[in-house]
Order: sequence, then C-alpha cells, then structure tokens
Amino acid sequence: MNRLLIILLLQLFPVILMSQGWDTPADKKGKLSPFKFTDETRIVGEKLYLLNCKSCHGNPGKANFINLVPSPGDPATDKIQHNSDGEIFYKVTTGRGPMPSFKNALSSNDIWNIISFLRSFNPKYIQAFQPEIKSAAYPGATINISLLLNKKKDSVIVKLTAISPKIIVPVINAGIKLLAKRTFGMMPVDEDKTSDMKGFAAFKIPKGFRGDTAGNVYFSLRFTDEDKFGAFSKDTVIKAGEITIPQSLVKDRAMWNNVRKAPIWILLTFSLGVMSVWGFIFLVLFKLRDIYIVGEYLDKNPGKEESELK
Amino acid sequence: MSEEKKTKKSESSEIERILESSRREFLKKAGLSGAAIITGAAAIYAGFRHEKGKRPENVIKVLTPDNRLVEIPADQVKDYKPGLKVFQTRGRAGLKGKKWVMLIDLSKCRNARKCVTACQAAHHLRPYEYHMNTLIMQESVNMPAYYMPKPCHHCDNPPCVSVCPVDATFKRQDGIVLIDNERCIGCRFCMAACPYSARIFHWQDPQNTEEDKGEIYNIELNVPQKRGTISKCLFSADRLRDGMLPYCVSACPNGVYYFGDENEDAVTNGTTKETVSLKELLKKNGGYQLLTELGTKPRVYYLPPKNRLFEFEEPDSGTQGEKS
Repeated sequence: MNRLLIILLLQLFPVILMSQGWDTPADKKGKLSPFKFTDETRIVGEKLYLLNCKSCHGNPGKANFINLVPSPGDPATDKIQHNSDGEIFYKVTTGRGPMPSFKNALSSNDIWNIISFLRSFNPKYIQAFQPEIKSAAYPGATINISLLLNKKKDSVIVKLTAISPKIIVPVINAGIKLLAKRTFGMMPVDEDKTSDMKGFAAFKIPKGFRGDTAGNVYFSLRFTDEDKFGAFSKDTVIKAGEITIPQSLVKDRAMWNNVRKAPIWILLTFSLGVMSVWGFIFLVLFKLRDIYIVGEYLDKNPGKEESELK
Repeated sequence: MSEEKKTKKSESSEIERILESSRREFLKKAGLSGAAIITGAAAIYAGFRHEKGKRPENVIKVLTPDNRLVEIPADQVKDYKPGLKVFQTRGRAGLKGKKWVMLIDLSKCRNARKCVTACQAAHHLRPYEYHMNTLIMQESVNMPAYYMPKPCHHCDNPPCVSVCPVDATFKRQDGIVLIDNERCIGCRFCMAACPYSARIFHWQDPQNTEEDKGEIYNIELNVPQKRGTISKCLFSADRLRDGMLPYCVSACPNGVYYFGDENEDAVTNGTTKETVSLKELLKKNGGYQLLTELGTKPRVYYLPPKNRLFEFEEPDSGTQGEKS
C-alpha cells in the first residue's frame, strides 16, 4: 500500500511542480477523511457537487468548466487530482478569489463526501482514512462548557473544564467561537477566541445586538479546532440581546388602495365632498319642486299676485 | 226493519271480531317485534363492545396546530392540501415578526445569471420574462461598466399598491409586496407606477399553461401564471414560509446575495451561508439603495461594485449576457 502511494506520488511529482501556488498550511495537508469512501459517500457527494460546485467547475471529465482567472479547472484532471485529500479539503473550506469559502455552506462531512465523488474519477487513487478522534487533547474526559453573561451585560463569559473520573482541569488554549442563531444561519459574535490558563474566554457583545421580544439570544459555542476537540457544540439561551418588538410594516395608515388603510383626512374629505355634491343636487331639486308648486297655485288662482304668497 | 237490525248487529259483531282478532294479532306482533328489537340491540351492543375493545391496528400520531398529540386511524387520514382561500388569507397576512431585507453585493457579480434561471424555473417564466434580471450598467462614457441584478424592491411605501384599483397588489406585514392574480384585472397601472420596472405583464399564455392546468393558484409563488395579469419578484415568499432562502439567493454561485430579517439585524449569504450583521456590512462597504429620493423606502440594499472579483466582459448582443 505504501509502495503504491510512493509510486503515485512520484508520478504526480511533475504536476505538483507545474501547479500554481495555492499553498496549504503544512499541518492541514495530511488531514484525512474520518470515514472510508464508498459508493454511498460518492452518490451523496455527487448531489452536493452538482448543487455547489458544478456552476463553475462543470461536470468532472467533460472539461466544461467556465472561463475564469484563475481557471477553475476540471476536477477529473491532474490539476485538482494531484492535491492530497487534506489540500482539497482546505481549499474548499477556505476558498480564494472567485472561489467562495464553503466553510459555512457545507459541513466537513459534506466536503469529504464531495472529495469521495471527485476521487471516483481517479483510477489511481487509494484512500487512506482516519477515524475521528474525540477530544484528543483530553483523552477519557468529557468537556464541560458553561456560558454566562457578565455583570455589565456586555460580554459572554465562557468556562471550559475537562472532567474525568480522576481529575477536573481547565481546558487551556482551546480555539472557540460563539455563534448566535438567526433565521437563516448562525452569526458569529465577536472574533474567535482561545481559552486562557484558567479555561476562561470572554466574547464581547456588540452594541445594539438584537435579541427576541424578551431580549433572549440562542447561542451556540463551538471549537474551531475540530480535529482536537471533535465537532462538539454547546447550545444555550441567554438574555444578552436588546429587546426587539417587531413592528408590522402595514400597521400605519397610508395612501394605499384600500379603505381600511386610507388616512383619516382622505376618508373625511372624500365623504364630505360626496355629501356636499349630493346636498347641492338635492337643494336644486327641492327648489325646482317649490317653483312647480307655486306655478300650480298661480294657475288655479289667476287673480293672485306672487307677492301675496309670502 | 228486523233485517236491518240483524245486519247492524252482524256488522257490529264483525267489527268486534276484527277488533278482537287485531288485538290478538297486535299482541302477537308486538311480542315478536319486541323480541327482535331486543335481540338486534343486544347484537349491536355486543358488536359495539367488541369494536370498542379492539384497538385500531393502524393509528397514526398527529400533532394538532395547538400542539396536542392525537391518534387518528390510518384509513381516516387525508393529505392536507391548502385551498385557494387558505393561500389567499395567509399570503395576504405574511409572516409575523419578520422584516425581510435583501442585500446585493455588486463587487461579486460576474453575470452568471443563475439567479435569473432559478427564478424563471420556480415561477414558470419564459427565458425573456424576468422577475430578476442582471442588467449591464454604465452611468456615463468614462465610467466603468458593471453588472447589476435587479429584483422587485418591495418598497415600504409602494407606489404600485397605491394605484391598484382592485386591491390586487398589496403589502404584507413582513414587507413583501405581492399580487393576487385572482383579483388582478390587468390594467397595468402598477407597471406604470413602479420606478424600478420590476413588473411584467403576460401578454400571451404563460409558460407551462398546459401542465399547470387544474393546479391551485398559490399567491406566494404566483403559479400558475395567468394570461392578462401582472407578475413580479415575490422574494420567494413560499420558500420563506418554509424557512428557506429565496430561489435566486441560494442559486448564486458567487456569493452576491445576502438575505435576512431586519429585526434580527442579520443577513445570510446564499452561497457561503455566512451570517453577518446587516448594519455592519452596510457601514463597512458603503451600502446604498436605488431611487430613495422618490420616497419609496425600498427593502433591497446594494454594495458598490468596488474591488470587483470579475472583469467586466461585454456579453454577446441579444442574449443579455447569458453565459453557458
């Protein structure tokens, strides 16, 4: 197996030299999939590829990628296949220039499934994989996370402790990020932090940070270093946001097309206008009727003078 | 006389006899039917007891709108299909507590037109009918050209709604301006009133007229489209009801679109799924809106085409820059 790998690497050596510089940090290059690539992972990966990658990279093997600088390239060719699994994973995750980052769009399992699909176009590829290690830094311990609002209510204090049957120790130098739940995704609060020597970290809450009608915010704390601590998250609700009372956008009266929403002054002016026009018409009609009655009377009593009527 | 008496007597005895026999008959019949009723009732009761004791084999647990978990026999379950009235009522009300906003980052657009095609596929439009279009903008000869996607701006003070004579187009509490094509009379006043030219008119039978026959008209999707009525961008109100991003936003391969709720001050990018603060994004990138001087108060924001990711390429004439 190792020999095959070496042969493969030697074959690809010139290609590596030719490729443009999109360097992957050394520690990310060797990253391996936590599961074995199978037909199932390939099928899942194909679906994800068609949804997320096809619009630029085209169908693998058909060279129908679009013309951009730098060229996206066909994933079935050596341009992309010469990358190690870890390199492809890194590049998909971080993105560069026109290539967007899929860090938030795809989970790491999604990306591994896509790599599984891409590798199906490489007959020489032999997979090496590594089952996921949970909390490699603190073997045997469960990590306890507590989130608290500080007294000034402007930051969230995070405390990390590793608890095992034998010992309780603070988790130090752990990269963490705090996310707040929003309608379509999780919004990062403050920058990523690293826990201090006592296992503490503080995330500053920006001014005017929106909460719900009670000021509650749904927070999720995650490790930035998933390899070390696993894909673990602590979800909790804290009253850390500004109270937001949603206002309906149609509550005010406006010059819109229906009576229910019309401004009062329009309703009044309109009604008064209609009433006065009809009033005038009826006034004329009643006057005409009076003239008619007078005429009748004068016809019947020819001797009378008009002035006598009053 | 005596004969008469005799006949009268015999008649009365006859009647008596009939009465007598009928009483006997009646008692007999009553007894029989009484017994039959009792037996029948007993049988029905026994059957009822049996049925009651028997637990229905196929029951499904169903959650009611008031959050109660109830059991219903499987054969009595029917698929719920909202009717026209339901679509119209909930479509007019909108989603409570939301204030949708869209943000378009012009620096990332390369005229891929995926938003356009996704929108046309969802709303059954022809390739030349646009709810969303990517325009080529060049303000003057010396100014650089750029691409600008332009949906309906879903104004908070919508001129189209003001001019509609039949209350067909309306504003919802979550900010979306929709059209009820069951009410629309096709006068096109709204087209004339809209400063963003967001509306189209179906002069001919729309796309998929045959396939859509018999479909219930969904006010939040505007499908099936109708000839002689207006159509326009709906902010994918049907997708928002399901908690999903609009069709155009999720179809973009370049991260041009952000969409979100102003009440939460958060917008999510359709491509990278990154969620950021709307205020921060506008502040840091010099966000702006179109034709605010008209007082329309649009709900669509733009980020200027600064540091463009892609060079402007003059598209082939006639195809509106569609790329394959």
